[in-house]
Amino acid sequence: MNRKISKLLIFAFIMSLLHIPGCGLRSQPEILYVAIPYSENIQDIDTNYYINYLEEKTGLEIVVAFVKIEDCDDYLDMLFNSEAEIDVVLFGKDFVPSDGVLDEYASRGDIYLPDGEFRYVSEGWDTQDKIGTILWINKEWLINLGMSVPKTCEEFEEILEAFKNEDPNGNGIRDEIPLAGSLSRYDLDPVEFILGSYAKNDPYHSRMSADGHCIATDPEYRDGLLFCNELYEKGLIDDSILTCSESELCELVNSPEHIVGAFTASSIGDVIYRGNPEIMARYVHVPPLKGPDGKAFAVLPENEPQIGAIILSRSEKKEAAELLLDTMMSEEASLIARFGEPGVDWDYSDGRDISIYMTPSTIITRNYIRDVVQNKNLNGVGPMRVPDKYLYGVTWNGLNSDSEYVDARAKMAYADYLPQNDVRAAGKDEKLSVYLDRYLADFVTGRSDISDDDVWNEYVSGAEGLIH
Amino acid sequence: MKTGYVRVLSFIMTVCMLCITAACGKTADEDAWLAGAALDKEETADELYEKALKEDVLVVYTVSTRATRTKEAFEKLYPGLCVEIRDLRSPNLVEEVEENYKNGLTDCDVIICNDNSGQFKERIVDTGIAYPYLPSDIAEKMKDPGSNDMGSFTYEAEMLFYNSGLFDECPIENIWELADECYEGRIYMPNPLHSFSTYAFCGGVFEYSDELTCAYTDLYGMEPDTGDEGIAEYFWKSVSKNIVYTNSSDEVLEALGSGAADFGIMVSSKLRFMDLGYDMAPVYDLEPFCGCRISFCAMIARNSDNINTAKLFIRFLYGETDGNIDGYRPFCTEGTWSVRTDIPDGSEVPLDEIDLFVPDQDYMIQNREYFEDFWAGILESKW
Repeated sequence: MNRKISKLLIFAFIMSLLHIPGCGLRSQPEILYVAIPYSENIQDIDTNYYINYLEEKTGLEIVVAFVKIEDCDDYLDMLFNSEAEIDVVLFGKDFVPSDGVLDEYASRGDIYLPDGEFRYVSEGWDTQDKIGTILWINKEWLINLGMSVPKTCEEFEEILEAFKNEDPNGNGIRDEIPLAGSLSRYDLDPVEFILGSYAKNDPYHSRMSADGHCIATDPEYRDGLLFCNELYEKGLIDDSILTCSESELCELVNSPEHIVGAFTASSIGDVIYRGNPEIMARYVHVPPLKGPDGKAFAVLPENEPQIGAIILSRSEKKEAAELLLDTMMSEEASLIARFGEPGVDWDYSDGRDISIYMTPSTIITRNYIRDVVQNKNLNGVGPMRVPDKYLYGVTWNGLNSDSEYVDARAKMAYADYLPQNDVRAAGKDEKLSVYLDRYLADFVTGRSDISDDDVWNEYVSGAEGLIH
Repeated sequence: MKTGYVRVLSFIMTVCMLCITAACGKTADEDAWLAGAALDKEETADELYEKALKEDVLVVYTVSTRATRTKEAFEKLYPGLCVEIRDLRSPNLVEEVEENYKNGLTDCDVIICNDNSGQFKERIVDTGIAYPYLPSDIAEKMKDPGSNDMGSFTYEAEMLFYNSGLFDECPIENIWELADECYEGRIYMPNPLHSFSTYAFCGGVFEYSDELTCAYTDLYGMEPDTGDEGIAEYFWKSVSKNIVYTNSSDEVLEALGSGAADFGIMVSSKLRFMDLGYDMAPVYDLEPFCGCRISFCAMIARNSDNINTAKLFIRFLYGETDGNIDGYRPFCTEGTWSVRTDIPDGSEVPLDEIDLFVPDQDYMIQNREYFEDFWAGILESKW
């Protein structure tokens, strides 16, 4: 009897040992390894509100692998040539693959496409009416010099000359940069803005219209380049744009020395640091300038749907990955990804207020968490789909230095100048873009003589040779 | 037993006393702050500067971006002192200051706000969350010494402008003409629920029913048929059909500049942007009025840790004893009028030659709930 009891006890003990880990396994959520570009704006991923929300919603455990490689293409190259245990990669902000890169991996079977297409897009971090680039001018300098906001290219040139020669910052030193920029992004290159006064400039689509015509071979475009070359030769377009990176441009504009007269950017918040109301208050947007023919076009924006995430084909947790990304694409999750914690960072509006686009409000922002250090979401990284009614229904939080409000006013002023949608080509032709961009810089800086017909004709032939 | 009872009783009393002391603690601290602040003490700028050098960065909450230029001039004149500017819309500023106070934060030292809607007075001044600071050497130079309990340092107006690029002269002479359907979508005005100065004008109109009725009769040759409504309600409902509501005066300015608006109602200080080429001109003559006078005040936030810097900054903003306007200069522009006898107005046209009324803040406070409901209804009807 005792032996029986002993056996039963031993059996029960062994079973209990087996039961504990078994039970543990059953309660353990499935682990998903997600690669996210590192951002100093995310305080602590382990306690991040959005990540916790997603874990709760999906029952998954999200293990984040921060990517510290800045170049997205390089990272993907390394990832697909390694055996790193990653199920999902999130894209966004500056961490986006170049055109065609994902298609190539997909065609090789490296990327899992649930419906045969890239389903997990990022729609909503910015409004769809984004402008290719916007001119921002130093209104304090204009006031100091008794000059008006320019309406034509001619007036703009006069202003730049005064910025250069008349010491508008009043420090007695000729340290002014009339027009600053960077070639690192189309919107930061002021030449792209000026060309809009001559032609329907669209660098994001290889300057091609839908009917297969390349505007970069038109005489009007050449006139624009001639004008830009003149500005460059006079030192009005600063030669620092050739070497300036995005961050160096930011340093120039935010300098306490107050040295920049004008710059271009599709969002003022991309160049002026947050929490810098004094510098933000110096600049106002200038609507597109009229060229010699009275034309003025806003530069068309990129506006291609951006891929927010991919699932790796080698992942053994595709179902869980789909669950996570589908959840991220839901309205509820997208609003968190865009605005932060509901009830704390934002609330639904009763519609009695006015949005920053002067429409009925739908969202009241309590805390402005975009591009600041926070722990509520991934600051624009990852897939989302924010309905337009919310994007355009955001109220102003009353801060004059709120860049979203400043941008919204500029976008409304530029909207009437956007060329019709049919002018744009379907996508971007990398080879053609590289060719046109290189020549653009050469013509503006005088490395190639824009006034020489032979040089121009050679350039046009080269471009036509690349157009399919 | 008796001893035990006394012990218990004395314990309860002790606890009660401690509780009372603790409860009084905040007030006692605040009174200590007020006494320490010595807002009525005569101190020279040099004395304040010396003490200010031992203090921290001065934080200024302001509704005007012009304060950033006062900050720059202040830091230049007083090396070693730093000012941080937080630029907020008036209702948000009041909310922030109130929240700070409730949470015991001393985040804000100086407040620069438009003070005409009654909200600032009711919520910030009457509650003792902020105090005016007007030293006697400056007070004696005020144009209107009796009205400076609100710390006003400049006068402006919330008024009508027309698009001078589209019209050679103002196309209307009577305010009721704004209700004409030819101006549908062509009049821009900030949302009065989010702009104190616009609210002051919109609410102030209610005090001038007789003038509104006379103006209507002059224009149309008959008495207005307002049904069950008051004349002011009828006026705003008629004009509102034509109004595009904005978030701020900046949008009104830009709408005039781009040609989107025929008229704009906004703060007069935006006139300084005429030099930047914006097509706009003020309407000075209009029956029965073209706007209302408003003022901007500077106050010290209760519990400020940087009291000497705050005093020095406000003295600087007022134009010091001698009327040196380095601190006031950013505010002394076209569309502004000085509060001092020894500092000239920024505007060429004197205030008393403009058809403005002065809103009564107590009237605004008494009718606040009604006005807010009325305007919420108006805005709702727009969508």
